[in-house]
Amino acid sequence: MFRKLLRVRCESLVRRWASTDPLSFQNEKLQSYLESLRQEYYALRVNAAGNDRLYARLTRLDPVVNSLEKHRALQRNITSEKDLLAEKDEDMRALMEEENNVYTSLLRKQEEDMLQELLALSDDEDYPAVIFEVNAGAGGQEAMLFAQELYDMYTSYFDHMGWEYEEFDRETTDIGGLRHANLQVNDPEAYNWLRFEAGVHRVQRVPATEKSGRIHTSTASITVIPRPADVQVQIAERDLKIETKRASGAGGQHVNTTDSAVRIVHLPSGLAVESQSERSQLKNREVALKRLQAKLIHQQLQSAEATKKATRKAQQGNLNRNEKIRTYNFVQDRVTDHRVQQGGTLHNLPGFLEGGQQLSGLIERLQLEHRKQALMELLETWQPPPQEAADKN
Amino acid sequence: MLKYLTQPLRRTTEIARRSFCNSKLSGSSAKVTAATTTTTPTVGPLIEVREALDGWSDKLKEAGVSDIDFNLKCIVSHVLQRKFNTVPDDFAQLKFNSEQLADFERFLEARCARMPLQHIIGEWDFMDITLKTAPTVFIPRPETEEFIRLVIENYRKVEHVNMLEVGCGSGAMSLSMLHALPQVDATAIERSKAATKLAWENAKLLGLHQRFKVFNHTMETDNYLPTELQDKQYDLIISNPPYVKTEEFQFLHPEVVVYENLNALDGGSDGLRVARLVFELACRHLRPGGQLWLELGNDHPPLVKTIMNMQYQGRLNFVQSYEDQYKRERFVQLERV
Repeated sequence: MFRKLLRVRCESLVRRWASTDPLSFQNEKLQSYLESLRQEYYALRVNAAGNDRLYARLTRLDPVVNSLEKHRALQRNITSEKDLLAEKDEDMRALMEEENNVYTSLLRKQEEDMLQELLALSDDEDYPAVIFEVNAGAGGQEAMLFAQELYDMYTSYFDHMGWEYEEFDRETTDIGGLRHANLQVNDPEAYNWLRFEAGVHRVQRVPATEKSGRIHTSTASITVIPRPADVQVQIAERDLKIETKRASGAGGQHVNTTDSAVRIVHLPSGLAVESQSERSQLKNREVALKRLQAKLIHQQLQSAEATKKATRKAQQGNLNRNEKIRTYNFVQDRVTDHRVQQGGTLHNLPGFLEGGQQLSGLIERLQLEHRKQALMELLETWQPPPQEAADKN
Repeated sequence: MLKYLTQPLRRTTEIARRSFCNSKLSGSSAKVTAATTTTTPTVGPLIEVREALDGWSDKLKEAGVSDIDFNLKCIVSHVLQRKFNTVPDDFAQLKFNSEQLADFERFLEARCARMPLQHIIGEWDFMDITLKTAPTVFIPRPETEEFIRLVIENYRKVEHVNMLEVGCGSGAMSLSMLHALPQVDATAIERSKAATKLAWENAKLLGLHQRFKVFNHTMETDNYLPTELQDKQYDLIISNPPYVKTEEFQFLHPEVVVYENLNALDGGSDGLRVARLVFELACRHLRPGGQLWLELGNDHPPLVKTIMNMQYQGRLNFVQSYEDQYKRERFVQLERV
């Protein structure tokens, strides 16, 4: 009897706590948010035909609403407490309670699924590709060596994820270091993962270049710039000045010079790019043009990003994008992500640098955290649409 | 006068021939060493590539070779059997073993004797494909890439193209067309036996031989195509015929005069001797509305326009001429009426 009382008390406590947790399904705000999504979904089903943007929204809502409908169906199967009390037959009641237990656990599971879908929905930014950059930071040669290791880690990570990428620019040093590299990752999923990698990465170790065995701290930074679908750079041929080494003198069959290096100047912007990485001049011209295009897109995005950043700063105070996000400590064989409050330290550094499951797992955690945060913020500011309130009255 | 001109040339030929034989031998030995080093990586003392390069820049300069850094990088990557674009510009951390070093020096010696780089390394990239090269077979030039790019852009949307190339050399133009456009079928004629063989070999290496035919045939007046092709009609004819004027031969680079087949260069007194044969061929074997594209020398397009207006009225029309990447008017587009 006492135990039963305790259980009732506990349950009500749990429920009360749950209703204050914004991401619990007992929370009324979340409930009504879900309901509004459901309404939006059915409204869209009627209206979305022929409109790409609405249709995209519809496909994104689909799993959430689907999940919600399942949840409701399950809820309907649970026998209410009133019915339970009204049931006179003991056996029957035991059966009902048992059934209720099964449904409740199914319900919890469904709620978890629904939360996942809902969290995925909070990635409101959709980009077909990202520009991914690695830059060596403070620490000279050692920083460049570290930048190369990061570069290797991320390119194998792209392979691990099955993303296509192309390299636009890469500048290396004599001893196998990397000054900077510029890649484009062509996958709509890439931004939602890679955005958590932007920032300063710090390395602590005894560098290969160090003679007296001291531990150095150096940095490299990662920049992730989403490339929206509508960023198009049109390069007109007349705006280009294409230069090769052979400026004058005879050509064609008269000479046999292997004139392959190409330099292109984009006259309107004054940008200049070069390529001599191929033996064929035409291939070099293609490579140089690609680089030019990347640079122009980069310029355009950076100005767009700058305005976006300014507004974000104004809203959120001093959000420093360049803060240190992760430390790679070779001496202690650990990686610490400074944004993860608990358990942000992983061991087996070489395994991590392979860019496989370990890195992927860490990004996944950051992603989940970010999505939760985004959903909570959304719920905080979200107001039920007025006409719905009117319907209720 | 002529003696002064031919004497140094003869000397370079001599040196070149000698070093070529050497390099040919070493070419095969290089392959062997590469194979053995993979199994036993510590064979012989290793030498830094950067060290091995010492002094060669000046020697090449003295020999009159231009674009020296590029030449060195090509030869280094060839000796190391690595793809050109994977070799760092500064050769950081690259090493030769003793055999590779010997090859390297022999190749550079040959280059100093002005043997074309493309012959030394035995292959060359043309647009998106890599072609084998062979001595005596004409090496495609960068401008030809530009020329064939123009043709490709013009035919990209055409459903099916039955193409003929006159004088295909190593096969560069036809094979690039076939590589870029799946709707093209190409037939080529070539007067040199060595080139015919090489073009076919390249087609097979690139896996394009199913859509490619090549005939060893010398085009002459009233004998334009081999008997098998006698009543064929084509949608497109392309050609980079020999167009060097006889008087210009004295100004050619040693790489060209000594090592390249002069049959692939000699265009007669006005440089259009072979081009005129191609015009005649086009009148007979181009379907009405079909086009003839030619890569020619600097001052040829206006001349071709005049010839069309004077002699080919009602048969061939001058459509347009185009500049190469060096802003020289070099390419002409003609159309069969």
